[in-house]
Amino acid sequence: MAASQRDISVSEFFAKNRHLLGFDNPRKALLTTVKEAVDNALDACEESGLLPEVWVHIESTGENRYKVGVQDAGPGILKKQIPLVFGKLLYGSKFHRLRMSRGQQGIGISAAGMYGLLTTGKPVKIVSKIGRNKPAHYYEIQIDTKRNLPEILNGRGEGEDIPANSAGREYMDKKGIEWNEVDHGTRVTIELEARYQRGRGSVDEYLEQTAIANPHVTIHYQDPEGGETTYGRVTEQLPPEPREIKPHPYGVELGMLVTMLKDTKAPTLSQFLGHSFSRVSPAVAKRICTGAKLTTRANPKKIGRHEADELYKAIQATKIPAPATDCISPIGEELILKGLHKMVPAEFYAAATRPPSVYRGNPFAIEVGLAYGGGLPTQKVSRDALEELLSQSDARTLRQFLATTFDGMGTMAADKIIQQAQLPTRISPGNLDKQQLDRLHEAMRNVNLHEGQTMTVLRYANRVPLQFQAGACAVTQTIMQTNWRSYGLSQSRGGLPTGPITIMVHMASVWVPFTSESKEAIASYPEIQRELRLGLQAVGRKLGMFLRRRQRVKHEGERRTIFLRYLGEVASAVSQINLVNRDKLYERLLTVARKKTAEADVKLDDRGKVLEVEDYGGNVIIVDQEGAAEAGSPGAAAPGSAGED
Amino acid sequence: MAKKTRKTALEMAEPVNVSALKPQDRKTFTQIKTLADDVVQAAETSKDPALDIPARTLSNVHYNQKKRFIEMGKASNRRQLFNLNQARSYMQTMLVASGAKKLIAQGKTTSLRGMYYLLKHTIEGTREETFDDQEESDTVIEDLEVTINALREELHVFAKNAGAMVGEITLIDSGDTIDCTRMGSGGYSVPSIVEPEVIQFRKCGAKFILHVEKDTVWRRFNEDKFWRKYKCILTHGGGQPPRGVRRLLHRMHNELKLPVFCLLDNDPWGYYIYSVLKQGSINLAYESKRMAIPDARFLGLRAKDFEICELSNSVKISLNDTDRKRAKQIAKYPWFAHKKDWQKEIKQLLDNGFKLEVEALISRDISYVTEEYTPMRLRDKDWLD
Repeated sequence: MAASQRDISVSEFFAKNRHLLGFDNPRKALLTTVKEAVDNALDACEESGLLPEVWVHIESTGENRYKVGVQDAGPGILKKQIPLVFGKLLYGSKFHRLRMSRGQQGIGISAAGMYGLLTTGKPVKIVSKIGRNKPAHYYEIQIDTKRNLPEILNGRGEGEDIPANSAGREYMDKKGIEWNEVDHGTRVTIELEARYQRGRGSVDEYLEQTAIANPHVTIHYQDPEGGETTYGRVTEQLPPEPREIKPHPYGVELGMLVTMLKDTKAPTLSQFLGHSFSRVSPAVAKRICTGAKLTTRANPKKIGRHEADELYKAIQATKIPAPATDCISPIGEELILKGLHKMVPAEFYAAATRPPSVYRGNPFAIEVGLAYGGGLPTQKVSRDALEELLSQSDARTLRQFLATTFDGMGTMAADKIIQQAQLPTRISPGNLDKQQLDRLHEAMRNVNLHEGQTMTVLRYANRVPLQFQAGACAVTQTIMQTNWRSYGLSQSRGGLPTGPITIMVHMASVWVPFTSESKEAIASYPEIQRELRLGLQAVGRKLGMFLRRRQRVKHEGERRTIFLRYLGEVASAVSQINLVNRDKLYERLLTVARKKTAEADVKLDDRGKVLEVEDYGGNVIIVDQEGAAEAGSPGAAAPGSAGED
Repeated sequence: MAKKTRKTALEMAEPVNVSALKPQDRKTFTQIKTLADDVVQAAETSKDPALDIPARTLSNVHYNQKKRFIEMGKASNRRQLFNLNQARSYMQTMLVASGAKKLIAQGKTTSLRGMYYLLKHTIEGTREETFDDQEESDTVIEDLEVTINALREELHVFAKNAGAMVGEITLIDSGDTIDCTRMGSGGYSVPSIVEPEVIQFRKCGAKFILHVEKDTVWRRFNEDKFWRKYKCILTHGGGQPPRGVRRLLHRMHNELKLPVFCLLDNDPWGYYIYSVLKQGSINLAYESKRMAIPDARFLGLRAKDFEICELSNSVKISLNDTDRKRAKQIAKYPWFAHKKDWQKEIKQLLDNGFKLEVEALISRDISYVTEEYTPMRLRDKDWLD
């Protein structure tokens, strides 16, 4: 027994437990690969102050095999670091610091490369270039799982240097190295076993959601079917660079504290506390030491296990100011509105950014955006696209297909469509004939799903969309606990509200507490839930205002049409009798009708009270539905201007 | 807005030569025109066009003790164009007014149904009809009658002929002389407009009027030439008598001083018909003074007749719940409430638990009602008042 016991390398561990990193199945593997590469690319660009531009290219190379290429116009990577970044697990710049960024651990992209190698045997290919006239470097790397070290396969283990300018282009053409011509940037290409499928949890969805939360990013996407999509940026403004901060004492755990004590260079305990943590002044340090019955001048390296424990307890018991929150860089209400407006067609948009708060010593900020109304995903789909979706689906029944492919569609809504289309519920989506397909398409366009439609929730952590484990996430839970009925939506007890509504929730933090390593659900700390609730309520109130006002306008509109309908008849009848000019009388009556209903517009609210004109308090967009059809561009509605209806 | 391809009959406006109209029509036309002018004025001063329509409800009628008939109160309902619930009926009222104006201008008359068709069309730009069914237009016509205080006949709208008359009287109907003693078996069909302009009385040899409930009984009397033997006028109204019949009875009663006797079924419905003839109806309360005959008498059938006439059990028709309810309501009518005989009569009906039709008397003998029953009652002055 003892003889068979030996070291397990991190790489080996993850090779066997790939689901922990998001490689559970071929479909998810594709998504995770793209996601890790894009997240890295965006982080790299932002950190060096460049407006991110990313190319994503997915190509089918055989059955269940895809080649994923992701390139950025970032700063590029220094030659000697390239193999480590892409060929060694847990290597990175992000783990050892407290700073808001997309990636945290430094596992992602190397894990993707490892997965590719395991499933196809193909190495990761990297091209990186750091300046206009600098040479590009080309590496083919595979990871040595036993030693967790990169192995360079080309150029006799040294990689290849590609000269700048035209000579380099020829070289790359000859070698078949893929590269979009940019001055500087990095391209990573991974070939892996995967499956491409649209719908929920797809690459397409990820990119779309990324575009919403990152309005400063441009993404060029080429899907395996040859379709090309570009999500253009709506702002030229880079988000303010988040500052790196020291950990706050409240957030540190005992084990971490012990390690820090061992590693510190500080000569005294007081200095150690002051230098390693934020918000610890000498006075605070002294109070902590007194609490732990230690002297401020004690040598940190000589603090024993027991004393460390006392110190930990003393930290928790001492009152320490909350950490500085200026290290958080939220998206901002205006940009959330812009992002939503661009990607989610709707009638009403609202956004709220909460002031930063703190959980367990980690600063964080919650942002909520909301889009209400507008077209439905089922109504937007063309017949051809539907046929394609059906053929790709692995759902066993049509109902399952509908519920999993379209956002905000519950099984009830799916049943409604199937019933309308007069199709059997349990028919397989792949077995529809032409006529049945037509009927389905027709039904999808016509059935009003607003009632059965549930809220679409887009969750983000540090601008990265979270696409799985919605149920386990604090965001979903808090939305379900919030009472949306008071904002004019219907909601069954403890469920998501229904209606044509999309909510995006963004948590920005130096350390987002995920429930698992695959980073798909935010843990439910009470402080986080509180902020979530406040943010949701802020946009909810605005929505409630909008819905109430719209209801009233609609009501008045109906009133007006009823009057208008009869005015013509009255005018004709009167002119019959006393021979007045019919059209003139009609115009007169029309004026009176307008006046009558306009008065009612402002006079009363739905409870019959005299109504003051409510102010949305800024940061809403209301799209004029009649004008929207022609306008269609974001310029049609002025973001941030309130109360225009 | 798209022009309609075909103009409806209504749409061709034509000027009215007011001086050429008959005096009555001139008055009606002026009233209609006032309605229209009000709309124009309201529109020009940005006010709500509205009509005040006297309320035709139970709460707005009362029994005038002195005149002894039902009168309409002063309550009225305001009908506004700019009120969601009233806009449609306002529009309909104006349509009816324009329809009446057209009839007057052309000197023609039409039926209720004719008016319905005259005014019914699809509202431009919608799928809505101006009137969904005739009931709607009938109600609005009544509304207009009370609003401008004009009779339906004055709006040139008439009901279908119902009811017949024979007897010792000669009259002139639209210039034709009608001798009601020579009407064969069908009798003179009473038109709905019997105003003096249309019908004038020429010669009358009758001493009273016998009004029976329905055609079948009336036939029996006519066949037996009851009216010749007893010098009377014989009428029926086919159940609830239409306005033409009521108005004619009223005129003959007042102008020729003929007493009116009613021979109706012994059931709440029969009582009610009598009540309407005598006191007027809620719906037409505004015309009571031209229709009600407070002196009309109820000759039969009486609840006591089952025993007196020795009828067999097989002619009984059991009272149902509605009948009972109705009977109790009628007993409370102010004009019955203080009449002991009537209270006794209704009580006996309820105690009997059955009703009797006039035809039940046939079980005694085919002509029992004409040869024995009615003459006996008249001779004994055995009636209810």
